[in-house]
Amino acid sequence: MGIYELSLATIVGINIILALGLNLITGYCGQISLGHAAFFGTGAYVVALMAKAGYPAPINLVCAMLITGGIGIVVGVASLRVRHDFLAITTMGVGFLFLGIVRQQDSVLGGEMGLSGIPSIGLEKPAFLMLVLAVAALCTLFSVYIKKSWMGFAFDAVATDEDTARLLTVNVPVYKLTAFALGTAMAGLAGGLYCYFTRFIMPDDFGFITSISVLSMVAVGGIGSVPGVIIGTMLLTLLPEMSEFLSDYKLFFYGALLFGVMRFAPDGLAGVGSSLRGMLKRSGRAV
Amino acid sequence: MSVLLDVHNVTMHFGGVHALTEVSFDVQDGEFLSLIGPNGAGKTTMLRAITGVVSPQNASIKLAGQAIERLATHRRAALGLAMTNQIVRPFNSMTLRDNVALAVGHQRVATVFRAITAINRDTERKKAGELLEMVGIGDYADQEVLGQPLGRLKRLEVARALALKPKLLLLDEPLAGLNHIEAARFADVVVGINREGLTVVMIEHNLGEVLRVSDRLVVLDNGRKIAEGEPESVMRMPHVRAAYVGKEADHAAA
Amino acid sequence: MLFLELLIQGLIYGCMYAIIAVGLTLVYGLLRILHVAHAGLFTLGAYLGVIVTNATGSLGLAIPVSAMCVGLVGMAIYRLCYQPILSKPPYVALIASIGLFIAMEEIFRLIFGPYGLTYTQVPLQSPVSLLGMSLRMVDIFIVFGSVAMLGLLSWLAQKTRIGIAWRATVDDPQMAGSFGISVQNVRYLNFFIGSALAAVAGIFISLLSNLAEPTMGGVPSYKALAIIVLGGLGNVTGTLIAAVILGVVEAYGTIYVGNLLDRDAIAFAFLILVLMLKPQGLFSRK
Repeated sequence: MGIYELSLATIVGINIILALGLNLITGYCGQISLGHAAFFGTGAYVVALMAKAGYPAPINLVCAMLITGGIGIVVGVASLRVRHDFLAITTMGVGFLFLGIVRQQDSVLGGEMGLSGIPSIGLEKPAFLMLVLAVAALCTLFSVYIKKSWMGFAFDAVATDEDTARLLTVNVPVYKLTAFALGTAMAGLAGGLYCYFTRFIMPDDFGFITSISVLSMVAVGGIGSVPGVIIGTMLLTLLPEMSEFLSDYKLFFYGALLFGVMRFAPDGLAGVGSSLRGMLKRSGRAV
Repeated sequence: MSVLLDVHNVTMHFGGVHALTEVSFDVQDGEFLSLIGPNGAGKTTMLRAITGVVSPQNASIKLAGQAIERLATHRRAALGLAMTNQIVRPFNSMTLRDNVALAVGHQRVATVFRAITAINRDTERKKAGELLEMVGIGDYADQEVLGQPLGRLKRLEVARALALKPKLLLLDEPLAGLNHIEAARFADVVVGINREGLTVVMIEHNLGEVLRVSDRLVVLDNGRKIAEGEPESVMRMPHVRAAYVGKEADHAAA
Repeated sequence: MLFLELLIQGLIYGCMYAIIAVGLTLVYGLLRILHVAHAGLFTLGAYLGVIVTNATGSLGLAIPVSAMCVGLVGMAIYRLCYQPILSKPPYVALIASIGLFIAMEEIFRLIFGPYGLTYTQVPLQSPVSLLGMSLRMVDIFIVFGSVAMLGLLSWLAQKTRIGIAWRATVDDPQMAGSFGISVQNVRYLNFFIGSALAAVAGIFISLLSNLAEPTMGGVPSYKALAIIVLGGLGNVTGTLIAAVILGVVEAYGTIYVGNLLDRDAIAFAFLILVLMLKPQGLFSRK
């Protein structure tokens, strides 16, 4: 594997972690979040500051998760007060708020220019890739586990009809907060890994477009479906890189794909997959 | 006999509309009480006040002696209150069995720590099957909710409510939309549940069935309680008949 | 004097936000969709305004032409993009709209280049002295133009049959349908008017900065989204008031909180603050 392929694979891994986190919040628990990049960024900045201060990588990554998850709970509390459409705008607002704060803090956070010279994690590129893939695998297993557990059952109820869930004794507020805490912590972890990957971060890396990119990976893959999200992420990360031609059209491609999938196949790849399986089953019987 | 539900001085207004004004009544343990009255009398609002979906300006509500008017809906449900909706609301992302299984296993989701460590749903799904049998729709247990006829969904609502092992079952117009025969059958299912010891409070317009199955009636009109007592004697009261007829006369005149 | 200058600046931006936001809230009130692609129509309006002005030398021609064209595009977007997915869960239309917006932005960039277009001769730049401050004609034009358009819209809504039909449909589509009102036509009208207004707002901004560029729609539209939430989703009067309030809050905010937050974040900080205190927005319908 050349350097380029290694880097690409690493980015795919990081994006998978990020997308699975959003899938927990939006896919499992039905809370739409247009500000996921803010948590990605929080994790990255936490690791950047701590690494530059000399702390070791494992501690930094854990702190990134905890701090981001904590902020996620605060945002989650905000989500309790507002519904659906209001929530989408509020989370979008959170994203802009994060950017706004970071851009103005020249002294500590590097302002517009960002933070550079972040120390290395101490791993060579192939080893780092292994680390990222291992973390991605863990997150995948975790997501699947949650889905199968009673927590996933409760999430499903909250996402489908939260008022009825309340009547069935489900403590809806606590479950929403849990989804936010877990999903944003994953985003924070992805952010920390991203920080060690690029060793140079700036506010523009964590803007609204990034939030939308992650949401598109989840939506194209199929909201709520772990395999769908993974494939969607791989697709949306790799395809634009696969040809020079596409590279300049990358953003147009995102937009068109997002629109196209929602317009023609709103259940994403996962939906297409299960329709295909259904068709095959039926034709199998007919034969 | 003891009082299971004590509703005292409930007053609720939305904006300028007075939905409920100082309504009080109690429900004895084990009885079948029906809440009747013309459209707009405030019956559904009353039920929602009891479950906590709406917050009255003034209310004192006690379930088995415990004050619940300040508790969140899910806490009241955990204390033994179950309700079925006038417009059915099944979880349409799940099968009938899973709808009930979630309710059966409600203890498992009581805290997030318990929920995240529990995986197995077999026991609950089995029990869900039994409950669906009990309300007569066991055969459809593993079907999806989408596309099911209304009668079946209404029974699903009841099965789901029963799965909570409630002390008190509130039913909001369970017979609406059902034809003559379906309504009688469904009413019998509810009566059967009541005879097993579950206290039932039912809102219904189908007076025929109401008179057949209820132990007692409470009549609301324009947000106030205007009568209560044994079904026959209540229906004979002139002001009760006037309340119903009055509404019809209003409609006729308009 | 600073106080007054900030107030005027706030008012000017408030007027522009108001025109963009009205289009958004019109769509939301009718269809419960957050029409993010509205931003693309805003940008299209600006581009058309610059192109027609440069070609004909007349801003007076450019404005109606741009408004008309963008209005039609808006109607097409409704028919082709939103109508088929009305029955899906709300996030579907939202994400589709976002995708459409991104694609539109990119189309502008690919066709006209990333640096945008400028006026060969910017209209309305002559200085005007008002209350001791030096403004430009364009500032006056924007405020009066906005008020005039909104006044016209209000008159349409209250006094004409079309307007009454429209309001009835927003309140209760089924009832309106049973009265013989064509709900479909009302929707087309809705998108036409909202998009035309967005186009004019785009032209206003292009006059202020002498630039129409691909990403110009983003920030004003995000703020417009914040405004319609503040004003109470679907509440037109509330939206107008919220727009002006936001314009003013921003103007003062940059001075007083500018070292903590940049200008765009101020709008959202204000929104979040308000929503925490009043989750239904400043003026909700109920």
